[in-house]
Amino acid sequence: MSHVVLNGVTKRYGAQLALDAVDVSVDKGEMLALLGPSGCGKTTLLRCIAGLNDADAGTISIGGADVTRMPARKRPIGMVFQSYALFPNLSAAKNVAFPLTVRRRERKETAARVEELLALVGLEEHGHKLPNQLSGGQQQRVALARALAPDPEVLLLDEPLSALDAQVRTRLRDEVRRIQHQVGITTVFVTHDQSEALAISDRVAVMNAGRIEQCATPPEVYAAPSTRFAAGFVGNRNTLELPVADGRVAWGGAFDVEAPSGERALCLFRPEDVEIGADGPGLAATVDVKVFLGAVTRVYATCDGTTVFADVPSRSAAGLEDGQKVFVRVAPEHVQVFAA
Amino acid sequence: MTTPQVSTPVAGDARASGASRPPAALGGRGPAALGRRLLRLLAGWLPALPLLVFTLGMLVLPALRLVHDTFALRSGGFGMDNIQKVADNPVDREAIANSLELGALQATLAAAFGMPAAWLISRMRVAGRATWLALMNVASNFAGIGLAFGFVALIGTTGMLTHLLDVSFPATGSFTGMNIAYLYFNIPMFVLLTLPAVAVLKDDWWEAAQVCHATRRQFWRRIGAPVLAPFAAAGWLLIFTWTIGIYAVAYALASGPQSVKLITLQIGATLESSVFGLERAAVLSVLLMLLAIVSTVLYRLAIRRATRWL
Amino acid sequence: MRSRIGSRVFLALLALYFALPLVAALLYSLATKWGDTVLPSGYTLHWWVDVFSRPEVSGALGRSLVLTAVTLAIDVLLVVPAAYWSVVHNPRIGSVVQTVTVIPFAIPWVVIAAGLQLIVKDTVPQLFGTFWLLAAATAAIAFPFLYWAVENSLLAADARRLSEAAATCGAHPMVTLVRVVLPAIRGGIVSGSLLVAATAMNEFALAKVLVGTRYETLPLWSARVFTSRTGNDPNALAVITIFTFGLLFALSALVVWLGRGKSASSTLALARTSSSAEKG
Repeated sequence: MSHVVLNGVTKRYGAQLALDAVDVSVDKGEMLALLGPSGCGKTTLLRCIAGLNDADAGTISIGGADVTRMPARKRPIGMVFQSYALFPNLSAAKNVAFPLTVRRRERKETAARVEELLALVGLEEHGHKLPNQLSGGQQQRVALARALAPDPEVLLLDEPLSALDAQVRTRLRDEVRRIQHQVGITTVFVTHDQSEALAISDRVAVMNAGRIEQCATPPEVYAAPSTRFAAGFVGNRNTLELPVADGRVAWGGAFDVEAPSGERALCLFRPEDVEIGADGPGLAATVDVKVFLGAVTRVYATCDGTTVFADVPSRSAAGLEDGQKVFVRVAPEHVQVFAA
Repeated sequence: MTTPQVSTPVAGDARASGASRPPAALGGRGPAALGRRLLRLLAGWLPALPLLVFTLGMLVLPALRLVHDTFALRSGGFGMDNIQKVADNPVDREAIANSLELGALQATLAAAFGMPAAWLISRMRVAGRATWLALMNVASNFAGIGLAFGFVALIGTTGMLTHLLDVSFPATGSFTGMNIAYLYFNIPMFVLLTLPAVAVLKDDWWEAAQVCHATRRQFWRRIGAPVLAPFAAAGWLLIFTWTIGIYAVAYALASGPQSVKLITLQIGATLESSVFGLERAAVLSVLLMLLAIVSTVLYRLAIRRATRWL
Repeated sequence: MRSRIGSRVFLALLALYFALPLVAALLYSLATKWGDTVLPSGYTLHWWVDVFSRPEVSGALGRSLVLTAVTLAIDVLLVVPAAYWSVVHNPRIGSVVQTVTVIPFAIPWVVIAAGLQLIVKDTVPQLFGTFWLLAAATAAIAFPFLYWAVENSLLAADARRLSEAAATCGAHPMVTLVRVVLPAIRGGIVSGSLLVAATAMNEFALAKVLVGTRYETLPLWSARVFTSRTGNDPNALAVITIFTFGLLFALSALVVWLGRGKSASSTLALARTSSSAEKG
């Protein structure tokens, strides 16, 4: 059942179209990631849901109620800002209590709720501290607790992890997911980091130039991108532009697949789908260089001046030498083809 | 150990020199070592010596001399007689009261007008902000005799506005007249001082407050005002001190009728007219220095408090 | 909506308050005759030509310019080596100098003038009332502007690393200073100098107390004409007022223009300029 529904939401900044008639819906308790490069409109979309930006056209409803013209301070939402936007003069506990205080909740009830939330984010010991006495990760947790405090219907997260360093980021990413599951709250979350989006969301909406290119589960987006942009943005891919002949496109003996109409086609395939063997079948190539990445080794191989990279299990890559002649092949079902 | 040295040269250097130079207590190892140490000390300070000696002579010594003259008695020895004489003099008492009152009123008015102005200017787009900044800068520069002339030409007995509105304004040399003129540079001064502080108030916070369902009033009462208040207090203190120390505009305006007595004017008059009684100027000067010291200390405290959260 | 209109009105009234004294002075400088009317009865450029052809005015302007030049020379010679040594070799210089810069910033200049008068009259009375005393005193109260600007640009250019890099290239310290460091901080020296010049051109208290009529600068001339009961000459005063205003405006505009891209620091510098002008 759709909890948040956006219909034809459009937003213009002067001549620039930030959102181009976006339709998207989020189910109750679902976590939707808005994924895209900077300037693609993902943050604008989130701010439209929050009511911090007004949509020029289209409607937004939450829980069946039209909130399109409702100011932010009336909407049933909680939001975590990219900068966290913690109030500097209030302690962590007072920050968490703020949404309840301005709603004039009873003091006892507020105190209990604050305690509960600080425990949920693992900051029971730090409630008395001011924001600038907390680490980045702790500030992020306080911001999350503050957003959850009034028990909103929808939780909005604007690049909540981007200000953190890599290690803290992965840990908090998983924790955000745990808390979201535990609370069971409908969540929309903006990120430019595809691994973050794929890791913790139920569905990913890949955005580009104010539009949603594809909206599907992480495995679907990863394995079968529906547009060229989605294919290029999600995951690492080899990209080859090849001529089309008789409705098919082929790269030597490496693969031969059906092609869309047109003279040339763009073929994309993942490094882990590239097989490298000492014998054929396949396309004869030369190993340039190997990069050890731990479980896998990335092998760069060149054929006719075109270099592709393959992620090979490190154990089998051990047998490959720089300059060795090898055969390269890709299973046809792993090649995505788009008109060039 | 290397990181602090790279990022803060001050700390790094202190460490380095501390390590290379033995503590003074252990330094007595013959005249050669002493000579080397003196030489190294000299090399560390030599290029700055002219500036340090110059400012010592031109700024520090005059201040010390004024303190000395305040307590030195004509009959020899030291005492409070000079201070007592000023305290008993009704003219000086009036000047001190006027100066303090003028400073406090100016600082309050400058804050009352300057704070909203700074807020509005900080929220403008680039072009509007640049224009207003230029205007503020020019206005705060337009002090001195020229400002006095401008206001006499505007609201003096034959001033432009006096004719236009057909009313008589307070005399430019009066307490009210001076207040009208002083605001001309004190409001811009306050705006220029607090603009960086107002920029501290992030839009994020207002948005976050909205999402938390706070009204504008709740936001200002619980976040905006507490964050800005110490900055405003710091600005108030600076305007207060500067206003009391102003001489040029006061000198020009006070030449008019019904002129008010101020500390700086009393100092100037004493220095020019009397061969004796210079200790009166010293006492009044020391009073101004004391005010400056106190307000500088309070200013530092206010700024420390203001930046505590940031 | 209502608050937006309210703030428009507030800003408009503020702008009017700032514009009116200037307008009045400007009209005076262009008026043929201005009696009991709101606006002058006619306009002329006569006063602008007349005022600057008077020997007492051109003399005062010349004296102010000479004072400014000498003040600048003193400050540049004293400040640049000290700031350089502080940033590159001995940071403790910086903390001492920063403490001293508080003095002319916090203590009224008429007080500094009073202290100087007492000292000089006791020790070297022949120095009192001379140009050199005035120039030295002006340099002393204006030096913080230059010191702050030079130190900031030395830090911004990372002169310490530059000097180290030059040393690893085998450059002599003097060569480093002249070829590497000075070009890197030229902007700071220029904008600091402009602030010093604005101070020296506008300074009144020191000139009034230390030299009086013996070296009449432009502010002293203005004050004398303004306060004299008999020879009150509003048109000439108006010309000098607008002229001074234009000069200060040009100087501060130059500072802003040189510091463009570094808005925060120039705002601070502006705040400091203003304080100097106001105390004059």
